[in-house]
Amino acid sequence: MLLLQNARIASENSPALVESDVLIVEGIIQEIGQSLAIPEGARVIDARGRVLMPGMFDAHVHFRAPGFENKETITTGSEAAINGGVTGVVMMPNTRPALDSATAIATVLENAKHRSRIPVYTSGCVTKNREGKELAEIEGMRGLGVKMLTDDGDTTADPAVLLRAMQYATEFGMFFASHCEVPELAGPRALNEGVMSYRLGIKGSPACAEEIIIDRDIRLAHAAGAHVHIQHVSSKMGMETIRWWKSRGDVKVTAEVMPHHLMFTDEHIGDYDTNYKMNPPLRTQADCDALLAGLIEGVFDIIATDHAPHTPFEKAQDFISAPNGITGLDTALVSLYNHFVEPGKFGWDLVVKRYSAEPRRLMGLPVAAIEVGQEANCVLFDTTAETTFTKEFMKSKSQNTPFIDQTLKGRVDLVVLGAEILLER
Amino acid sequence: MARKDLLDIASLHREEIEFLLDQSTSFKKLFTRSVKKIPALEGKSVLMLFYEASTRTHSSFEVAAKRLSAEVTNFDVAHSSITKGESVRETIETLQAMRTDYIVVRHGHPGLPAMIARQTTASVINAGDGAHEHPTQALLDAFTIKEKFPDPRGKKVLIIGDILHSRVARSTSTLLQKLGVEVAYLGPGSLVPKYGPATIPRFTDYEAAMAWAPDVVYLLRVQLERQDVQFFPSVREYHRVYGITTTRLAEIRDRGLYIMHPGPVNRGVELCDAVMDYERSLITNQVENGISVRMAVLDWLTPGGDFPKQEAYIAQQKAGSPVITP
Ligand SMILES: [Zn+2]
Repeated sequence: MLLLQNARIASENSPALVESDVLIVEGIIQEIGQSLAIPEGARVIDARGRVLMPGMFDAHVHFRAPGFENKETITTGSEAAINGGVTGVVMMPNTRPALDSATAIATVLENAKHRSRIPVYTSGCVTKNREGKELAEIEGMRGLGVKMLTDDGDTTADPAVLLRAMQYATEFGMFFASHCEVPELAGPRALNEGVMSYRLGIKGSPACAEEIIIDRDIRLAHAAGAHVHIQHVSSKMGMETIRWWKSRGDVKVTAEVMPHHLMFTDEHIGDYDTNYKMNPPLRTQADCDALLAGLIEGVFDIIATDHAPHTPFEKAQDFISAPNGITGLDTALVSLYNHFVEPGKFGWDLVVKRYSAEPRRLMGLPVAAIEVGQEANCVLFDTTAETTFTKEFMKSKSQNTPFIDQTLKGRVDLVVLGAEILLER
Repeated sequence: MARKDLLDIASLHREEIEFLLDQSTSFKKLFTRSVKKIPALEGKSVLMLFYEASTRTHSSFEVAAKRLSAEVTNFDVAHSSITKGESVRETIETLQAMRTDYIVVRHGHPGLPAMIARQTTASVINAGDGAHEHPTQALLDAFTIKEKFPDPRGKKVLIIGDILHSRVARSTSTLLQKLGVEVAYLGPGSLVPKYGPATIPRFTDYEAAMAWAPDVVYLLRVQLERQDVQFFPSVREYHRVYGITTTRLAEIRDRGLYIMHPGPVNRGVELCDAVMDYERSLITNQVENGISVRMAVLDWLTPGGDFPKQEAYIAQQKAGSPVITP
């Protein structure tokens, strides 16, 4: 039994926080109300001033297993999630071997059951070995509960292949997530084409390389009657393309935006800092502003981190040699609070809706909410404390994040899932 | 104030540039003496680390170092396949163990000399990093221009060619602007990016660029090897549209314009053969001045200073801040 006293409860439905006591019995929220009686044997936590919200759900993470366990494992990845206030994740299938068969998916899910304290879901590949040629064994993956199909990291180059996949898998109630990039335009380097790429002398990737595929894949979904989910949008016109398609109302399209694309621009790369090297690349302030507006407006259904760990050795190379990607789970909730909630750009309701409720709905899962009768799935957040993202603080195996050694406002104090306290600070 | 490294022009202060150009003048005077060697760097070691072949820059640095009595070693990388960042880091560890005083590095990856500089006590000189910077080329270009225009403020330099892939264009235009020289770019639209510095006019038409009234025409080498896709239809068309043809040379002669080129020249592409005999061609002056400028740079840097931590170093570089903020 756990009694949280005087917590300020956040929900997706209201910007206002409601101060209340919350009683959790055997992992279920039993009572919410003012000055609840303290049951015998209950542990009491004084949550006065702190925000209580549902656990976050990250629908785009790379846990690198199997194949790259030196970067991350399901255990370290899920512990990083808990550390950041995230209580459920969807893995991307670009592992080695790629998650393109029922066998591969079954192995990952079996591992996750034993090696993670939070639910770990996985997406499956659209094509075998993510090569964009032959369809993966989609129905077999559906049998294991896979909902999302994606060749994340690589755009399915041949539109005919993707169209066939959409026509085939939509019948099974599955949807497609698209990493949007024309490789011939984007080139091999993750840096926005513009003033900064020119100054650094690196061939840039123009925003149109991304925008073309955003439009293409929604058109394909329109033709196939499929649901397409646009991954990690980084450009203003990409956001506008999605907004236009959504306004037509005749195609099922959802989209996601990453915290780093809302917070950083290509200017942050400075002297070739590889902690800002990611794909799609950081673009300009105008893009950041448009993405934030798009998030507030609802063009983006969900926030996800694209948690992409790489070893220090790999990232310590020069900018061109270093791999793309940054970690995001350890820093997830605190960075959103520090950059947006605290300065008043958006409220807790948006965080809960876009990073907890909608991602679960996207995956066809029950939504976590602080309501009577629900399984306890919640995070207690101290808005007056700070977090310093030292190497020791991070639970991810890798520390390739721009936040390394930074101090940000806010702290995840408590994470509860069912009858278990997963984290307490 | 002396620095440990010379990595770019962007972070150099105007006073430092003026100082280096003055020093170059003094070193150039040595060339007329029968004994050209001075003991300034006696006992010091200079290591040449060239991942990209370059006879011209390589030998220029070598001559400069030897005239200062330094010991020169070539690290043989040209024929090995180690060009990726990972193996470069292993090389750096080796170099640090060798305690060399100077490392002159050329590499195809932008920012790589800076990475080496952060991890060694040696003074690192960037001898060209991809399409990023080539600071000693910029210094020798400015020195060559100052020999003709002792006060170059307000003079106009038109840089023609592949601006997109050119580290020479970046470094030289940055430096000339710091000295008060006006710079403009001319070239095919596919090779003169729209997002270059806003302070630099951009032409795609030769006549319009000449109407801007340049004092110096600076031709860039067409680097076909750097182009992963086609940027213009043919070398013949390039010569006709952007090259110095025989007809155009006549106009240039009438106007008394100087011609420069960082070399090596593609004859019949950037320029016609007759340019080589043009009395106002400064191409050989540039080669000659490369030695004295590089002597000044080697003499100016202070190896073995501190061993800056990455963050401290970046902070310092940022404080010395970029110049062309468009
Ligand atoms: Zn991803």
